[in-house]
Amino acid sequence: MIEVSGLHKAFKTRTGTVQAVKDVGFSAHDGQITGLLGPNGAGKTTTLRMLYTLMRPDRGTVRVDGIDAVAQPDRVRRGLGVLPDARGVYKRLTARENIAYFGRLHGMDETTIARRVTALSQALEMDDILDRQTEGFSQGQRTKTAIARAIVHEPRNVILDEPTNGLDVMTTRAMRGFLRQLRDEGRCVIFSSHIMQEVAALCDRIVVIAQGTVVAQGTPDELRAQTGEQNLEDAFVRVIGSEEGLFG
Amino acid sequence: MKSMFVVMNKELLDLARDRRTVLISLLMGPLLIVGLVVGMGSVMQKKFSTQMQKTLEVPVIGAEHAPNLVDWLRRSNIEPMPAPEDAAAAIAAQDEDVILRIAPDYADNWRRGKPALVEILHDSTRDDSRIPVTRVMAVLQGYGQQVGALRLLARGIDPAVGMPVMVAQTDLSTPSSQVGQALAFLPYFLIMSAFVGGAYLVIDATAGERERQSLEPLLATPASRAAIMSGKILAACVFGVFSLVLMLAAFKLAFWLAPGNTRVDVSLLAMSKLLLILAPTLLFGTSLLTVISASVKSVKEAQSYMSILFLLPMLPTFYLLISPVKNQLWMLAVPFLAQNQMIMKVLRGEPLGLQEWVFYLVVGLAIAGVLWFIAARMYHKERLAVSA
Repeated sequence: MIEVSGLHKAFKTRTGTVQAVKDVGFSAHDGQITGLLGPNGAGKTTTLRMLYTLMRPDRGTVRVDGIDAVAQPDRVRRGLGVLPDARGVYKRLTARENIAYFGRLHGMDETTIARRVTALSQALEMDDILDRQTEGFSQGQRTKTAIARAIVHEPRNVILDEPTNGLDVMTTRAMRGFLRQLRDEGRCVIFSSHIMQEVAALCDRIVVIAQGTVVAQGTPDELRAQTGEQNLEDAFVRVIGSEEGLFG
Repeated sequence: MKSMFVVMNKELLDLARDRRTVLISLLMGPLLIVGLVVGMGSVMQKKFSTQMQKTLEVPVIGAEHAPNLVDWLRRSNIEPMPAPEDAAAAIAAQDEDVILRIAPDYADNWRRGKPALVEILHDSTRDDSRIPVTRVMAVLQGYGQQVGALRLLARGIDPAVGMPVMVAQTDLSTPSSQVGQALAFLPYFLIMSAFVGGAYLVIDATAGERERQSLEPLLATPASRAAIMSGKILAACVFGVFSLVLMLAAFKLAFWLAPGNTRVDVSLLAMSKLLLILAPTLLFGTSLLTVISASVKSVKEAQSYMSILFLLPMLPTFYLLISPVKNQLWMLAVPFLAQNQMIMKVLRGEPLGLQEWVFYLVVGLAIAGVLWFIAARMYHKERLAVSA
């Protein structure tokens, strides 16, 4: 369960202050997939970074399973599995070593790690690449490794930044199946995407972000009702106000 | 604590996979040291002995004016040669190390009992001419003294009358301190390898990890940032100690192979002392590099600091060259100067007091500790993780 309210974040740049996120608020429930949809540069990654405590919000609160992310970042990170925008897989380590490294950083013992690696490898269909050094992995193989690494400790909450970015059709389908599996296990899954079809196909709840702020949120049905559009696609275009960058 | 060792193990494994880098960085220094010590030692010794013993060929201008002197030179193992056209040019072009010029009025002055002029032409800034000039000088002085004594005797005077003061030199330098003088570059070599030996590892572990964007997922784990950073520093230190041990082993081997230089103290005890002296430098270097790597935008920017870091350990050596000062306790608080002094003392086999050891180690570790603390603060910056 992740509750976000009134998030603000500004960056100082050479040309002045950029308000990347203003007044973002939503809740993501356990056993649901919540999608953050928005065009490139809408503030999705910045919002997620505040969720996984990499950045401090200027204002607003993030609560993960009831724990405040600013006050107790270490405890919050314990209950989170994070796939950042940058996958950052260690290329001189094998996929297995990459996953085990993060397991150890989460304080897991070696038997549990080994058991989890086997389970994740099966779920993500990566048995054939498990003991290869990740140098030369395809985008999909790297993403799989990074996802396995992110959820090796069986977190209650999973945050994925553009998980299907750069994946081919088959891998994308497998990834969707995997996210549904995480949901069915009762986890709270948040993922961001700029591809509308992606969000429409997967999400129980959708949060539409444009220019740093939430412009609409709800279940797909609620969104259709709010906008009076029968087609979800038209509904998105209506709330965002442009068609820019929403089609994969 | 546990995360720190997890990070350390991972960094070492990651490094070990990069076999070529490891081999080059571990073996280059030791090979260079052996080559340098053995090569330089034997070249120096060979040159010294040949310059001292072999027949010295010296061009003599106006040899016809002083046939007796020329004879004397020949008997003293100096072969007079025909003089070149332009003596000054020959010296400048380094064709000749030393040239003798006998004045045309030599014979006249000689006969009248006046001092007859013999000039030694050489370039004092050239190290190569030092030994030949000394030899020629000694031979000419011997000739002058002998003839002077004979003249006094011929006049019925005791030659001792002409020598009111007898000057004698007693060199109190010990053989080992002489060796130390010749090896002034060695402390620098050791300090350098301790200080920046693990540089690429540190830069890679922080700035490189950031550039490859793997720092963000790492910092999203529950491991504390201080533990992650310390693990990386620790990995660099472990690698550094390993590399220093190889270096010191090479050192020992080099002096064992090198001709004549056996008086440098290369016992196991001395080597362990050197390792202890270099330990704070290692921590100092890796912490400093971590601070730099965490504050810059890219690996490239971090590497641009390297040339300055290479110069840093040389500064005290330069300072000591210009103004050699007596060893004092405060010097052991100045980074690099302290290491230089301590290493020299160990190599010369001079004793180091308990007070010096404690003072040196406490100050050295304190400086490294402060840098470590700054590095930990840098790791808490938001900007660090967010590179892309």
